[in-house]
Amino acid sequence: MSREIQDATLWGMDIVPQLLVNAIITGSIYALVAVGFSLTYGVLKILNFAHGHLMMTGAYLFYFFTVESALSVPTAALATCAATLVIALLTLLIFVNPFDRYSPMLPLVTTLALATILESCVSMIFGVNVKALDSGSSAESIQFGSVFITPLQVVIAVTALMMLVLIAFLMHSTSFGRRVRAMSERLAAAQALAINSPAMKGLVFTLGTVLSVYAGIMIGYETNLQPTMGHGYTMKALAAMILGGLGNLWGTILGCYTLGVLENFAVGLDFGAYSLPAGYKDAFAYFIILVVLLIRPEGLLSFRRRVA
Amino acid sequence: MEYIIHLAILVGIYLILAQSFNLTIGLGRMFNLAHVASYALGAYVTALASTELEMGFGRCLISSALVSGLFAILLGGIALRLAGDYFAIGTLAFASIVSALLINWKSVTKGVLGIPGIPRPEIGGVALYDNLQFGYVVGVLVIVSLTVLYFVFSSPFGRVLRGQAEDQLAMMALGRDVRLINTLGFFIASAFAGVAGALFAYYINYIDPSSFSFSEMVFLVTIVVVGSPGSFWGCVVATFFLVLLPEPLRFVDLPSSILGPMRQLLHSIVLLSVVWFNRAKLFPAQREV
Amino acid sequence: MLEVSDLHLKIGDALILNGVSFSAQAGDSIGIIGPNGSGKTTLFNCLSGFVLPFQGSVSLRGENITHTPPYLRAELGVGRVFQSFGIFREMTVLENLVVALESRAGVLRTFFPWSTTSRMIRAQAKEFAAQVKLDGKLSQRAGMLSGGQMRLLEIVRALAFGAEVFLLDEPTAGVSPKMKDEVAALISHVQTLGKTTLIIEHDINFVQSFSKRVLVLDQGRVILDDSPENVRKNDLLREIYFGK
Repeated sequence: MSREIQDATLWGMDIVPQLLVNAIITGSIYALVAVGFSLTYGVLKILNFAHGHLMMTGAYLFYFFTVESALSVPTAALATCAATLVIALLTLLIFVNPFDRYSPMLPLVTTLALATILESCVSMIFGVNVKALDSGSSAESIQFGSVFITPLQVVIAVTALMMLVLIAFLMHSTSFGRRVRAMSERLAAAQALAINSPAMKGLVFTLGTVLSVYAGIMIGYETNLQPTMGHGYTMKALAAMILGGLGNLWGTILGCYTLGVLENFAVGLDFGAYSLPAGYKDAFAYFIILVVLLIRPEGLLSFRRRVA
Repeated sequence: MEYIIHLAILVGIYLILAQSFNLTIGLGRMFNLAHVASYALGAYVTALASTELEMGFGRCLISSALVSGLFAILLGGIALRLAGDYFAIGTLAFASIVSALLINWKSVTKGVLGIPGIPRPEIGGVALYDNLQFGYVVGVLVIVSLTVLYFVFSSPFGRVLRGQAEDQLAMMALGRDVRLINTLGFFIASAFAGVAGALFAYYINYIDPSSFSFSEMVFLVTIVVVGSPGSFWGCVVATFFLVLLPEPLRFVDLPSSILGPMRQLLHSIVLLSVVWFNRAKLFPAQREV
Repeated sequence: MLEVSDLHLKIGDALILNGVSFSAQAGDSIGIIGPNGSGKTTLFNCLSGFVLPFQGSVSLRGENITHTPPYLRAELGVGRVFQSFGIFREMTVLENLVVALESRAGVLRTFFPWSTTSRMIRAQAKEFAAQVKLDGKLSQRAGMLSGGQMRLLEIVRALAFGAEVFLLDEPTAGVSPKMKDEVAALISHVQTLGKTTLIIEHDINFVQSFSKRVLVLDQGRVILDDSPENVRKNDLLREIYFGK
């Protein structure tokens, strides 16, 4: 008993509860970003390299509506939502639909183009410097024992949880969800049952984009916004999806929280001379991608092997 | 005049970089997103070797090529086991790790501050501080590199690389070791990217991680796609076209914070429109059996 | 019912279909045989709309559907049973049937599980499952079924969906000998309901038991179109399978 406590202090275990809380918040944000990424992969069968950039653009729109146009938060949220729908549909019409039937490599190229277009447009309009959304008093920490948490962070974690419950209902209890699952698993067979793919693709893609924009806004409140932030979050979503198996929704969500835990603990725990500098937090996700691809490409957290 | 020499050197560096990229993505149809990482490694090796170790021009060039080539073997060892989307993801992860190292391994790379004061190479006791003289050296290296790459493209090796892109199973059935050939293709492409990186470091005198960003990768994809993937001369023409395309912007009075994004925007719009008009022919899908 | 004329189709540089023409009346049952690579499955993919021909046309009930996307063809009544099992393995047996029935009812009326339409559909789905003796496995994952059961589920799913033309691609592939009879019985049942069936099959005896007419495909062409007895007697068949 006493040895355990000794070890705990030696390894800096007293910060474990705080790290766990941080991990949940990071994981929640990743989950909000990655759900759309995974659904898009499942239904449209494309890796959308512009996913994080769409998130960034939506968050900047919200910044534009709240800070620069001084709209109230609900109005701005509605306006952002409407603008995001338009952007998502335009993305489908211009960057995805004309290409995906020719070669699976084409959407990779066109979404790369979209990513740069969005990043350069936002840089030109808003500048390359960081912008902050002001969360006011909800950014002030409240202490629970040894754990500090802000009301904003509670909002992030709770809304993410609500979203997961909603997604679970949507995917497993509604006709819409059954169609999404059918299309992700066996597109040709779904089409042979007259499951309307263009409309479903549009719905799934816009839904996923709106969710990620919500995440982007939360990131804007929690930290800040920058035109270059998109790529990093695409990579995080990718890492989570690789962990959970490509196109496997629940695996991906589990991957998001796992990634949150791994990142926070790897950087936060004091391993003495082997401590990882905080700058490597992001590299950790990329490293995970490689390791998983090397040992179990179908996903570390997917329990069932997918049959090709 | 000085401006024209500057453009010529830039075009030369990109000729090597883009053509070597064309070898993997165009000829072999391997969607390798880590080519800029090879380029970055080449640049950093030369930057470090010439400042810290005071190594000469030839040795720097060779070390850059070797380090980048070895990186490709490591990369190929993992990524070439993967197919399709997984391949793109694997190479992207590799590229991201390299850029994370460049930013965070401060004791070696000096992080975002970058490495300043890279001396121009000395040849025969003359330091090439004059851009024209340096330009000649770049020119010679470009000609040598492109000649070698041209032979690779038209050699039996190049044909096998092209063949496996169209029908991997058929090539395996013909008794070709596709993995070995792809790895070798990776090695060659990456080594030349290393050479391009070395020249870049020498020319600019100062390198930092921002020169090797994700948008640089998109730029290379643009060059290869515009020049028609797998086409040697197409890639050469596209390099001239795309490196020079945003130059007129320089004469418009724009702040540099607008200029950079504007250039990226221009490139990606060119990329999109070329892909749009050639979508039926670019990257034809592997034949289904 | 189904009119196919002069279909030409390329995959890459290879000409897979080289002028396929035939027609099927409502209620016809046609067997399709031919050596590997003769274009049988590609013909089905072309009829389902997964690949498009560069020449020729397909029409259904007089309506030209050559360039209609797959999901609209399905709506018009083209059903498909895939060689490599087209069931959704990650979904339950019940869900596999429900998703097909819902597809006809529309996404909004069946959106919530507690709506009347949804309840009706679940009841219908159970009846269809009972037809193939899968009513005891409703909540099992479809991927856990045996090959024969998966095939039965897929055929009965197309029936539940309301397909009029059944494209059956080797329905007995991956099915145990014991279950083959049950699959055969189900196909007969489909035929007695007046559906049009096209069956790709290697086993000419199996074809003979269902089809009054057999098409023989070789190198992307229909080289014989006759009754099973006449096809059997024809020397051409021997030639393409065993060489001259």
